[in-house]
Amino acid sequence: MERLRKETLDGLVRQLASFRWSEAEIKELVAPEMGVITSFQDLLDDLERLRQMDLGDTPPADRRVQAGDRG
Amino acid sequence: MTASDICFAPISELSRMIARRELSHSEIISCFLTRIERYNSVARAFIEVSAEAAMKAARRYDALTAGAQSPLHGIPFSSKDLIDIAGVATTGGSRAFADNIATSNSFLIERMLQAGAISLGKNNLHAFAYGATGENSTYGTAVNAYDHCRLAGGSSSGSAAAVAFGLAPAAFGTDTGGSIRAPAALSGLVGLKPTMGRISSRGVMPYCWTLDHIGILARTVADAGLLLQTVAGYDPEDPNSAKEPVENYTPAPFFDLKGLRVGLPSSFYFEKCDPEILAATKRVIERLEEGGASLREVQLPAMEEARTVSLTVQMPEALSYHSRYLEEKAELYEADFRAGLALGQCLLAEHYLRAKRFITRYRQETDAVFKDVDVIITPGAPVVAPRVGQAFIDWGGDQEPVGNAITRYTSFFNMTGHPAIALPSGLHSSGLPMGVQLVGRYFGEGPLLSVAARIEAQGTPLPSPPLP
Repeated sequence: MERLRKETLDGLVRQLASFRWSEAEIKELVAPEMGVITSFQDLLDDLERLRQMDLGDTPPADRRVQAGDRG
Repeated sequence: MTASDICFAPISELSRMIARRELSHSEIISCFLTRIERYNSVARAFIEVSAEAAMKAARRYDALTAGAQSPLHGIPFSSKDLIDIAGVATTGGSRAFADNIATSNSFLIERMLQAGAISLGKNNLHAFAYGATGENSTYGTAVNAYDHCRLAGGSSSGSAAAVAFGLAPAAFGTDTGGSIRAPAALSGLVGLKPTMGRISSRGVMPYCWTLDHIGILARTVADAGLLLQTVAGYDPEDPNSAKEPVENYTPAPFFDLKGLRVGLPSSFYFEKCDPEILAATKRVIERLEEGGASLREVQLPAMEEARTVSLTVQMPEALSYHSRYLEEKAELYEADFRAGLALGQCLLAEHYLRAKRFITRYRQETDAVFKDVDVIITPGAPVVAPRVGQAFIDWGGDQEPVGNAITRYTSFFNMTGHPAIALPSGLHSSGLPMGVQLVGRYFGEGPLLSVAARIEAQGTPLPSPPLP
């Protein structure tokens, strides 16, 4: 997969996003300087590693948990 | 008994004093309000103090004739400023919501008021619960009662500081990655995150629906149990509320450790940890074993990507809630939160769903561990309270962001939804508290509290914070 480029996020924000993020905020996602959030690219790399793990037919979690074996 | 003794007394003791008429309700409330007035400028524990309403309620209770009363009758408490109290602003710790006056009480506040408890006000927090340091540019940073240059821990920072400074006997908070247990460990308190859905979240401003838990910061395990007993239960108006029966949460005074199976994670939870915290945790484990518990090594799911999974769920959910407010008042939002929301905007639906599928897997694998053990034990946090403004923890050249470090041992159990409690394990040579964490079975808060109470009884109580 190609590395993330700022132009990609610019297009996403212009055409798909619910909020018009500032130039600085988009730039921060691609090349973090504030140290508030780690690089989006790192997160995407982690997510790609997760994608390669086989979850079979595991469904997404809902908000409720089930009482397990109480012994 | 001095005013300070009253402010550091457990709820059970305050309740006894009220029942014996050794102290009136208004004397107790007055004690706490005086102390808040004296220390809140340092502690930064309260955003809003409801002094007049609290005194009015206390005087009304004073006038009542004696009779059978709830153990919380006349007992003061406070709550994180994400939790609605009718007529009071729910700011979320942000100037963006400074004028957000709640029109009704949240479920848990309603339950507390019905039990006769008296709200002292709203506690400070890391704005919108986004962050574990509790640093807040609008309302100041809640500090550690044992060293005012250090963090109380967050995001329920004000709730922790309120109890640790003796400004409230107990407080409510929320926990999305450790925001109750981490400040409890750092501040020398008991922090209980019950099973997901055990306490209704109706009337609590969400941060991340999938991971948010409502919980309690208290001085003792018994106090945490008493508050849980009061606010636990099914709420038909909260779609996420659990229908499981509410059990007795009073810790068994002589809980028998014989036959208790204690799980020790084979990796991750005892790594990259302050050696004194590790030693204190091992002492707790040894005492459990001496009492008759058996120890078993347990294999929890791989943790390498757990933080990524958590973040990938948090930020889109936070954005989903805040999106309509961003349109109205984006300029009032804190820069760090906006950066997180921007990240949430750019993640794909596939990323979000993959993360949620991993959460299902984490739940299944962790629940399977509880077929072989009754509780899992870990340190509460790998470090003592960091300094205010400190950005990283240095692990021999490896830099870990402070917020990540504080919650490293707690955040996984927000994804699984298991009940977990942090409680003191001793005092570090730096003079700061250390904590231990216990995790139990779904809806097994009763046994979890009983084991925690045994650990509490076996240990040496922490000295009160060195306050003038």
